[in-house]
Amino acid sequence: MDIILTQWALDTYLELVRSRVFDAQEYKMQIRPDVLLLRDYPNDSKFGVQKFWSPAGSIPGGFKMKWHQVGSGNVQLRLGVGVWSDAILCEGYVKRGAKAEARKLARLKTHMQLVVKGRYTKCGKIK
Amino acid sequence: MTQDSTVNNLRESTGIEIEIGYKMICAGLPREFVTSAVKVAFEFEGVCDLLKLWDKEEDVEERKEILADIQDMVDDCASQKQEEATYIRFDDLAQIAQDVTKFKDNLRLIVEQKGGIGALAQKTGIPQPSLSRFFNSASMPRRVTLLKISKALGLTAVDIATEWAR
Repeated sequence: MDIILTQWALDTYLELVRSRVFDAQEYKMQIRPDVLLLRDYPNDSKFGVQKFWSPAGSIPGGFKMKWHQVGSGNVQLRLGVGVWSDAILCEGYVKRGAKAEARKLARLKTHMQLVVKGRYTKCGKIK
Repeated sequence: MTQDSTVNNLRESTGIEIEIGYKMICAGLPREFVTSAVKVAFEFEGVCDLLKLWDKEEDVEERKEILADIQDMVDDCASQKQEEATYIRFDDLAQIAQDVTKFKDNLRLIVEQKGGIGALAQKTGIPQPSLSRFFNSASMPRRVTLLKISKALGLTAVDIATEWAR
């Protein structure tokens, strides 16, 4: 399966990089390799680990990839992913409590609907 | 359409989106924003969820975040087709974030000279929390937002020129 980078993902990466949530080393050694597992989804055993991969609420096809203790601030990082014939990377964000999480899920739900309607911007594939 | 007629139209309609839209108008939110939000909420369940979150939220700061999210989603839902953008390498992200931030900081200076964010919110119809998020984030600015700001403040094309607008 192809891994599609959306404008939504790119924008949130920009903000996460600017605010130094993670550095280049963490991206290359931890985050990127995990994202690349999506190429063989759902074959890798990590997709069976709830702490790493779980449904995004009740959003059809919506999932969250999760990292714990990322960066010097030891934050919890989340990446919304839509899984169809391709894996669509949506917004990445730092987990900040239940209220913020509810907003992020509502955003993901909207973005997933836009993907289904073909109304979004592709910024390339992660290879 | 006047604000009174908008309120009356909303009051006569049915549906949770309309009901919350009416409350938003009563709370003094820009009519243009509320109309767009309600319209998009009818089509997108996630936006309707955000309206419901705004409605039940009591914390002022959290409500501001929800409003900024709603404006983001209204802008995202304005896209009518799939587009392809140039691929950007991870190694270039830090430089791009720096460029975007510098551009927004310069634009913010102009905004402050022309009355500040509050005045800009009134002129553009974009809620203040959304403008604050716009200026404080490194995300690529939307052309539609830049054009609204430009029109409201009488700026030139040069003032809002950036290679990272989308």
